[in-house]
Formats: sequence, C-alpha cells, structure tokens
Amino acid sequence: MEFNNKGSGSGLQSEINITPLVDVVLVLLIIFMVVVPLLMEGYDVDIPRASADTSAHVAESQLILSIGSAACPILGPPAGEGIPKDCQVTLGDQKIPATELPARVGEILGGRPAEQRALFLAVDDRLNYEGVLRIIDLAKSGVADLKIEFIATN
Amino acid sequence: MRLGESGKMQASINITPLVDVVLVLLIIFMVMAPQMRRGPDVKLPNTTKPNSQGDERGRILVSIDEAGGLWINDQPVPAEHFGDALNAAVGTEPNPSVVIRGDAKLHFVQVREAMLAIEQAGFHGVGLIAKRAGAEGK
Repeated sequence: MEFNNKGSGSGLQSEINITPLVDVVLVLLIIFMVVVPLLMEGYDVDIPRASADTSAHVAESQLILSIGSAACPILGPPAGEGIPKDCQVTLGDQKIPATELPARVGEILGGRPAEQRALFLAVDDRLNYEGVLRIIDLAKSGVADLKIEFIATN
Repeated sequence: MRLGESGKMQASINITPLVDVVLVLLIIFMVMAPQMRRGPDVKLPNTTKPNSQGDERGRILVSIDEAGGLWINDQPVPAEHFGDALNAAVGTEPNPSVVIRGDAKLHFVQVREAMLAIEQAGFHGVGLIAKRAGAEGK
C-alpha cells in the first residue's frame, strides 16, 4: 500500500520540467553564435628589422629557407590539401623536397632553446600565397614554438 | 459556469511552439552570420594546422581581396593612404596587433608589400589568417 501511495505521488509530477533546460540551451546557442565567427586561426610572422642585434654570431645560426618559383612551381592555388610533390625548397644550403621539411626543421632546430627557434624565409614574389602558407604550416609542424621571419626588405 | 471551468483547465500558455520558432530563427541566424560580413569577399587559404589567433575583436583586420585591393576593418583603403589609415585604425586600442586576411589566389608579392607597409607603420609582427582545411565546406 505504501508503495502504491508513492506511485500516485510521482504520478502528480509525471513530466520533467524542461523549461530550465531550454533556457540554458538557448543561452549557450547565443554565446556560440556571437563568439564562433570572431575566432581566427593563422600564423604569426615577423619581418626582422636591420638593427644592432643582427650581429655576426646571430647570422651564423640563422636557418634560411628559400622557396624559388623554379624549384617549387606553385603559381596558382594548390589543389586539395598539402603541397605538390615536385616542390623543392632550399633549407640552409641543402635542396630538399618540401615534404621532408618537418623532419629536417625538427632535426636542425629541435635541439635549440625555444626562443632561438627561428626560420628565416626568402620567398619568390611570384609564388601563390596559399602555397607559401602551406609550406609555413609544414615547417611549423616539425618543431614547437617556431618563429617565422620573412626576409622581405626589397 | 462552463466558460469559467474551461478557462481553469488551460491556465498557462503553451510555450512549446514559441520555443520551436525561436530555436529555428537562432539556427538560421547562426548559419547566416558568417556570410553577412560587410567587408571584402576573401577566400582564406586552407592549411592543415593553423594556430589559434584568438578573437578578432581588438585586432586590426587588414584584408587583401582577390584583385589585390586593400581593406582595413572591412573598409576599402587606397594603397597610397594605407599607412595613414592603419594608424587611424589603432584608435584607443592599448596594444594593437594586426592580422592579414589574404585571399588564397594572391601572389606572395601582394601580401609581402602589405606586410612591409604594416611594419613601416610601426607594428611588430602580423598574423596571417588561414582556415583549417575541411573546417567548413567552403
């Protein structure tokens, strides 16, 4: 009988009150609506200035990545993802396929302290912007905290 | 008597259809909002792992459209007044930083010139905005 009484008691409130749930969901929706279009992703880059700290011993340890339009012919937006397989870049003084970039950059810069991990880029003007960003993406995936500096003085 | 009784039976308004309509409106606006930019039509480059650049509020947005036209905070700016417009855009921002939204079809030289102009206007470093590949259909 007691059991029955309890049963009828719960029968009084047979439906869950969803109003607070709906309120919370609505507020969450509004928050995401406002924030999501404003979030951006990309790459921090820098143009180094000619100044006193560009001394000889710094220049010695600089790792320069040259991307030429002859060895790496990305003149239009690359199709799909990644970069074309025939793209070759010059890292330091070695010519390597761009696909080997993450491994080589990690090898050379991985041993340095994080604040000295900088890659200097000399990029051919005729190259496609999206292709250049994809190469930066590759290089950055090789080592954490990699700073990208453009040699773009002329 | 009968009228009074039926009034008692339906004491509260049924808000379910209202909530449905509001939810649908919300979803419609959510989908439309990114396409309602006033600024230039820029198709951002796709890359695999772009880093977070945070919120676009408080940043100076420099856009370069497919034709090479320059925009600052969604306003078109002639190339010869770019530096002045950039300094004007700083306003009261205590720590201004600049991001470039360049179209994927651009040649690197157009972005490089914009970066140089930004550097000459006195800003250190820029963010190059990309889109995570496959994030949204287009």
